[in-house]
Amino acid sequence: MDSKRLLSIFGVLLLIVFSFAIAPFLGNPYWSSVLIMIVINILLTSSLRTIFILDEVSLGQVGFTLIGAYVSALVVMELGLSFWAGLILGGVASAFIAMAVGYPFMKLKGIYFSILTLMTTEILRLIAYSWKPVTGGQYGLTGIPSPNPLTLPGIGEINFSSMNNYYYLALTIVLVCLFIMYIIEKSHLSRKWIAIKDADNLALSVGINVMKYKVLNFTIACFFAGLAGGLFAHYQGLLSAGATGRFGVMTTLNLVIYMVIGGKSKFSGPIIGTIAIMLLMEFARPLDNLRPMLVGAVAIIFVLLLPEGIAGLPVRLKSIGKKYVSGVLR
Amino acid sequence: MKLLQVQGMNKRFGGLKAVSDLHFDVDKGEIFGLIGPNGAGKSTTLNMIDGSLSMTGGKIFFKGHDISGLSPYKRAGLGIARVFQRDVLFDSFTVLENVLTGLHLNSNLGIKDALMPFSPGTRKKEQDLENKAMELLDFVRLSDRPGMMAVNLPHGDQRSLGLAIAMATNPDLYLLDEPLTGMNAEETSFMMETINKLRDNMGVTIVVVEHNMKAVIGLCDRAAVLDYGVKIAEGTPSEVTADERVIEAYLGTEQDVVSS
Repeated sequence: MDSKRLLSIFGVLLLIVFSFAIAPFLGNPYWSSVLIMIVINILLTSSLRTIFILDEVSLGQVGFTLIGAYVSALVVMELGLSFWAGLILGGVASAFIAMAVGYPFMKLKGIYFSILTLMTTEILRLIAYSWKPVTGGQYGLTGIPSPNPLTLPGIGEINFSSMNNYYYLALTIVLVCLFIMYIIEKSHLSRKWIAIKDADNLALSVGINVMKYKVLNFTIACFFAGLAGGLFAHYQGLLSAGATGRFGVMTTLNLVIYMVIGGKSKFSGPIIGTIAIMLLMEFARPLDNLRPMLVGAVAIIFVLLLPEGIAGLPVRLKSIGKKYVSGVLR
Repeated sequence: MKLLQVQGMNKRFGGLKAVSDLHFDVDKGEIFGLIGPNGAGKSTTLNMIDGSLSMTGGKIFFKGHDISGLSPYKRAGLGIARVFQRDVLFDSFTVLENVLTGLHLNSNLGIKDALMPFSPGTRKKEQDLENKAMELLDFVRLSDRPGMMAVNLPHGDQRSLGLAIAMATNPDLYLLDEPLTGMNAEETSFMMETINKLRDNMGVTIVVVEHNMKAVIGLCDRAAVLDYGVKIAEGTPSEVTADERVIEAYLGTEQDVVSS
């Protein structure tokens, strides 16, 4: 293993330790809740980027996270299953629906795919908004229990109704998910996805079942979106599907902005972008309802000056440095 | 033995008849040329043989089986490989990764391998694939730069890599779409040498679309000439180039010259 790779592994480990250590340091439930939402959104934005490997922008991740949220909440409340079963079932339900609609969806490309996924999200939200007996309709679902206390050997009982502890739980789950997504990204599966993105006719001609791999991509991405929904449901304790709420169009647009500003071509992009913009929004609270404008301005600056996003900054700096050095030498 | 049989192939784009009632057979082990002026329907014919374009009418038999309705990836699985004129290779990949992707049909990597990249089983499978890919790169003289981004290769080498990707699927029939366009003399002779070597060493069959007559005469055993989607001649290269209708299609008649 070369030193560069060791260094980056060390850096990632350091960041993980830091993200665990920061919660008690900040020390209040408000910041813990901010951190929880950051972590959940990182998972959601990463699922968006999984589909973007195919060069398709899904505006439907919020819809699939809605499925995960409601399924996870309902199986815990109505069937009395555990949080863990709810979380997994939410992800599976979301993946299952993604697989079912994947074939017609993935036949479409570009703007048509984006519009279709956006419409699907809105339809799912309206179903949740009006299906009163199941989802509580406009009043939403209330009283979703937080996860049962967990007893770990050596640490004792952990109670997840505290914000701080729920943050640890969410962080751990999201880190495991990101690890799995990273492994998939380095595997032969993502090589096939990139091949399909580059030239789907050539991919077909070497025997790759293009539709199968595209639907698989969509299913995997929506599984993780579903998990993010479950995490959200048990953190909030209540779910509602109003147009301006969590499952509204604004969330969808924010996810795209996180991905673009973070860097859409790198695995770290969605992580960096989500943290950066959500923290920016937090620190800009005094600006009140001017905040979306601030984010808009930041997005415009990035698209114009650094289209490869924050994750592309090192490469950009290196090339600027090289130009400068060669200029001096000349 | 007839490896490929095209029977009554038709393609209509709206009112335009791109290919009309085309019949031809290709024997196992021969290099068969599809020639004709620009817009004659050669590439369209090739697209229908590999399945990327559906036929308006007609039937295609490969190794005696009717493959008319099969999707392209299934035809690839049966042993038909296509080298495109434009999408020759995968832009995001290195030279080696391009051939590794071509080896899809010969790899048995599954979901388990995707989730356990460091297991010895997966490592071994990937190492075997890499060795196979390097052998193929050796054949087209690219094994000296496997880590180079494929888009940075010179044009002639890109076409050779495209051939190596097709070879990776281990096909019985190659469909080559203008493999010699835009090449300099040296690249052309290397490509012709490689195509001949492919047939002589591996006994494969090749259908090649070309509009360069000289190249066709040097390469093909037999050729069919298309003009406006209709077959106007078929035979050995020297026969078809002597055919009056072929000369007319390429150069125009004496009357055309006089009137212009």
